[in-house]
Amino acid sequence: MADQTFRLPDLGEGLTEAQLVAWRVEEGTQVEVNAPLCEVETAKAVVVIPSPWAGTIQKLHARPGESVAVGEALVTITSAEASAAEAPPGTLVGYGPGAPESGIRRKARTAASVPESSGDVRAAPFVRQRAKEMGVDLAQVLGSGPGGRITRADVEAAASAPAVTSSTSTAAPSADGERRISVVGIRKAIARQMVRSVSTIPQFTEFAIFDATNLMAAREQRKASGRSMTPLPYFIAAVVKAVRAYPLMNSSWDESRDEIIVKQPVNVGIAVNTTQGLLVPVLRGAEQLELTAIAEKSAQLIEGARAGTLPPGQMSGGTITVTNVGASGPVETGTPIINPPECCVVAFGAIKPRPMVVDGKVVARSGAWISISVDHRIVDGALATEFLTALVAELETISA
Amino acid sequence: MADVVRVVAADDPVRALFSPAGELTAEGRSRLGLDAAALRELYRNMVLIRRADQEALNLQRQGELGLWGQFLGQEAIHVGAMTALRSEDWVFPSYREFGMAMIRGIDPADMLTLFRGLSHGPWDPRKYHFAPLAIPVATQVPHAVGFAMGCRLKHSDEVVLSTFGDGATSEGDWHEGMNFAGVFKAPVVFLCQNNYWAISVPLSKQTAGSIAERAQGYGFPGIRIDGNDVLGVYAAVRAAAARARQGEGPYLIEAVTYRMGAHTSSDDPTRYRTDSELQAWNAKDPIARYQAWLVQQGIIDEGTVKAIADAAETAAQAMRARLIALPTPPPGEAIFGRVYSKPPEPFLREREEFEASLEGP
Amino acid sequence: MEAVTMAKAINLSLRDALTRDDNVLIFGEDVGALGGVFRITDGLQKAFGEERVFDTPLAESSIIGVAVGLALRGFRPVPEIQFDGFIYPAFEQIVSHVAKYRNRSGVSLPITIRVPFGGNIGAVEHHSESPEAYFAHTAGLKVVTPSTPGDAYALLQTAIDDPDPVIFFEPKARYYVKEEIDPAARVPIGKARVVHEGSGVSVIAYGPTVSIALQAAKTAAAEQISLEVIDLRSLSPLDMDTVMASVRKTHRAVVVHEAPVFCGFGAEVAAQISHDAFDTLEAPVTRVGGLNVPYPPARYEKLYLPDVDRILQAADAALAYG
Repeated sequence: MADQTFRLPDLGEGLTEAQLVAWRVEEGTQVEVNAPLCEVETAKAVVVIPSPWAGTIQKLHARPGESVAVGEALVTITSAEASAAEAPPGTLVGYGPGAPESGIRRKARTAASVPESSGDVRAAPFVRQRAKEMGVDLAQVLGSGPGGRITRADVEAAASAPAVTSSTSTAAPSADGERRISVVGIRKAIARQMVRSVSTIPQFTEFAIFDATNLMAAREQRKASGRSMTPLPYFIAAVVKAVRAYPLMNSSWDESRDEIIVKQPVNVGIAVNTTQGLLVPVLRGAEQLELTAIAEKSAQLIEGARAGTLPPGQMSGGTITVTNVGASGPVETGTPIINPPECCVVAFGAIKPRPMVVDGKVVARSGAWISISVDHRIVDGALATEFLTALVAELETISA
Repeated sequence: MADVVRVVAADDPVRALFSPAGELTAEGRSRLGLDAAALRELYRNMVLIRRADQEALNLQRQGELGLWGQFLGQEAIHVGAMTALRSEDWVFPSYREFGMAMIRGIDPADMLTLFRGLSHGPWDPRKYHFAPLAIPVATQVPHAVGFAMGCRLKHSDEVVLSTFGDGATSEGDWHEGMNFAGVFKAPVVFLCQNNYWAISVPLSKQTAGSIAERAQGYGFPGIRIDGNDVLGVYAAVRAAAARARQGEGPYLIEAVTYRMGAHTSSDDPTRYRTDSELQAWNAKDPIARYQAWLVQQGIIDEGTVKAIADAAETAAQAMRARLIALPTPPPGEAIFGRVYSKPPEPFLREREEFEASLEGP
Repeated sequence: MEAVTMAKAINLSLRDALTRDDNVLIFGEDVGALGGVFRITDGLQKAFGEERVFDTPLAESSIIGVAVGLALRGFRPVPEIQFDGFIYPAFEQIVSHVAKYRNRSGVSLPITIRVPFGGNIGAVEHHSESPEAYFAHTAGLKVVTPSTPGDAYALLQTAIDDPDPVIFFEPKARYYVKEEIDPAARVPIGKARVVHEGSGVSVIAYGPTVSIALQAAKTAAAEQISLEVIDLRSLSPLDMDTVMASVRKTHRAVVVHEAPVFCGFGAEVAAQISHDAFDTLEAPVTRVGGLNVPYPPARYEKLYLPDVDRILQAADAALAYG
C-alpha cells in the first residue's frame, strides 16, 4: 500500500497549466488503471485524464474551476500494489517548461576555469589601452590575474604608485566604526599565493640557533677593507652550499604527475618589504655566483623591488626563498610560509648578542635564529634536520 | 502526335478485383487464398493494435508520453497492407503507422520511447525493414522510391510500401517521388491512407481533384478503394506488390478511411468537425464490420472474440509496464552517440566536456 | 488592459492588422477553422471571412510561393509556417525569391512570414528548431523575434507594415507567458532593448533566452554581480549601437541562444563586438548555446539548452579573466 500523488502533466507540447472542469471520481472511489479521473481544459482542448494507478482515491487537490499548474498535485491515490511504490514518488514524466525534473542534471555552476595568462598575452585589450592612456609600462607591472595576467586594477595601482599604498583602497568607516578596504593588485596577489601555499602544501617548521661569531668577524674584515656587506649575502651563500648537499630542498612537488621536480639552478627568492607589499625578487643561478656577486645582485634586486622597477623576469622562477624576520626589535624568529611551488623557505632572525653555553660556561656571543619551513610531501623531519644542521654548520664556519 | 491522354495498362490486376466503387468483389474475395486461421489473425491483429493505440493515448494523458497521434479507425489498412507484404519488403511510414510497426514485430514499448522523449529512432530499420518515422510530411516518399530504385538495380524482387496521408499528396516531395517512380519504374506500392483530415483541413480543401487518378499523370495506375475493409486492402496491396515484383512498376492505392481520433493529443477536433460526421464513420468501423462478417461466416464466435479482447488487454498492460520500466539511456550517448559514423576530434571533445559537466558518477 | 498571453497578443496584433488594411491576408495550414495549432489565429476566420483568413493545402513551399504571387498582385500576405522544423521545404522560395525579388526587379514584397521557433516544450523531432541564422545570413530579409507579449504585438505591427519581407520568429515556449500590452506601442525593426541594467557583464539574448538571461541577472544580483541584459529583438538588421554602448560600459560580453553555438547567430554578434569594441574588452566574448548536435530527444533537452547556471558560469569566467 502506497500513497502516490499524480501531478498534472503537460498535455499538449508546452502547456503550462490547465483548468479543472469536473471530477469523475470522489475521495474514496476505487479505480482501476485508466479509469477516467477528471476533465481538464487546456489552452488547446478539453481532455479526460485516466488514472495511472489502481487503488483508492485518497485526496483531490483541486476544485472545479480552479487552475492547476503543470507539475502541481492533481490527485493522491492509495495504490494497492506494493510495486507501485518503486515508481518515482508521485512525479510522472512531464515535458515542457513546467515539467518536473528528469533526474539527469548538468552540474550547478562550477568554478570558472579561466585560461591563465601565457606568453605575450598578459593583458586584455582594454587593459592595454588603459595602460597606454595612463602612461604605465606593462612590462613593469606585476599582474594579479590568473597566471599573472595584468588587470585594470593592477594598471591603475601602478599608475598611482609609489607614494600611496595603491594595492588597497579604503572606504569611509561605517556607522559602527567598521572600515572596508578593497583588495586589489599586489595585496590580492599575495593573498592568493598565501592561500595556495597553506592549502596545498603540508608544511612544518624547524628552528635552530647558529653562532654568528665567525660571520661577524668576516664582515668586520670586509668592512675594514671598504667592502661592507650585510649578512644577507652570507645567508644566501650558505643556503646555496647546503642545498648542494641536499638537492631535495631545491625542488617542487608536481601534483598532476605525482613527481618531485628537483631543480638544478638555485634561484634564490629574496623577500623584500615594500610600500606596495611583500615582493620576492629572484637571484637567478646563485650557485654560479661567488659572494661579492651575490651581494651586488641582491642589493640591486632589493632596490629595484622597492622602487617597483623590476621586470617580470626578475620576479619569477625562484626555487628556494630566504626571508629576514628579525630586521628590528625583539622579534627572534617566525614560521615562514613556503612560496609555492617551492619546497623550502629559510627565515633568518636578527644577529645579536645572546647567552650561550661554551665549555660549560654561559657567555654572550653573537647568534641568530634560523627557521625553515619545508614541504612534508617531499621532505621528512629527519632530512629537514640534516639540512638545517648543514646550514648551521656552513654559517658557523664562515671564514673571511 | 501521340494521344493527349496516355491510357494506362488495360490489364490492371488490382482493378480486376474491385468494383468501380472500390469495393472488393465476391470474385476478388474468393481469390484471397486466406484460410480461417489467417482470417482470424487479421481480426486479432486489428484488435491488438487498436487496444495498444488506446493505451498509448492513456499513457499520454498520464504524462508518460509527451504526445500521441492515434490511428484509431485505420486498423484495416495497417493490418491488411502489412499482411499482404513479405517480411523483406521495406515499409516507409509517415508518423502514424504504429500499428504497422507492431505487425512488423517492433516492440510497441520501444516505439513509444519516440514519444517519451528518449529517442528519435528506437528500432534498427535494417532489422525490421521498416524505415524511421518521418514527421515532416511526405519527405519519406522520395526515400521509398530511391530504395525501390535500388532494389531494381540489384535485380531483387523486393517491393517497397510507401505510405502517407491525404495531406501528403499536396507536398512537392510527393509529386517528385511519384514522378521518379514512374520514370524509373520503381517497384513501389504507394498507399495513401486518405483519412479525410490533415489536422483541421478536410479533403475538400486539400485537393480539388482525385488522389487515385493522379497516378495516371505519372505514368502508372491508381485505384481508390474502401480502406475500412481489411480484406479489400489486403487484396489490393497483394496484387499491386505482385505486379511490382514482376517488374511492372509502381501502383497507387488510395484507401479511403477516417481519422476517428484527433490529429494528436494536442489537437481539439471539436473545433473543426461535427459529432454527426464522427458518428457516421463510427458506424463504418472497420473492426466491428469485419467481426460481423467473420461471425456471419462462422469463422469466429463470441468466446474467441472475448479471448482476443482479453489478450489485447493483457498485451496493452504489458506494454505499459515495459515502457515505464525502460531506463533512460545515458545523456552522452543519447545526444552524441549516433550523430557521426566517424566522429571528428572537435565533436569528441565537445562530448567529453558535456559529459564532464553532468552531475553524478 | 488586462494581461494577455503572447499567443493572445499576436492574435490581437493580427486582428488589428486585418482591420487596418484590407489587403492583409493570413493563410497557412490549420489557421482557419482550427485557429492554428497554438490558437494564434483563433477567431480570425470567423471575424474576417475565408477570403482574408484561409487554410492552405499541406505545402510549405507553395505557401510561400503563392505569398510571392499575392504580394505582386497588391496584397500584404502574412503566411504562417506551422513549426520551425517545417520551414525547410520553403527555404528555396524564401532564399531564392522572397529575399531577392526586389533586388532582381525593383518590386517590394511586403510579406511577413510567421514561424513558431525554439524548444523547451517537450516535443518530438522537428518541433524545436532554431533556424534563425540561415535567414539572418540571407540579405534581403529582415529577421525579428519578440521575447514578451508586448513586443510580440508591437513588433508584428511593424513587420506587417514594413514594405520589405520579414521573418517573424515566435518563441513558442513563451506563448503562454502573460503581460499587459499597449496596442498603441510600436517597436521598430533594428532596435535592441536593454531589459535589465547592469555594469559587470553584457548578456545579449533574443527570443526564448531573454527570460533565462533575466533570471540569471536576478541570481547574480544576490551575489553582488551585476549583469546587463540586452534583448536584441531584431537579428537582421542588428542593433550593434545598443550592444556596443553596453560593452563599453561593462567590458565583458556573453551571447545566449538556443541554436547550436557552432556557426550560430552569436558568432556574428561576438565577431562584431571583438572587432568594433576590441580595446574595450577585458575578457574574450563568449557564446552560450546549444551543443553541436541535432536537437536531442525531449528528455534531454534541458541538458542541451542554455540555462541560468551556464549563463552564470560564462559571466563568472568573464569576470575572473583579469
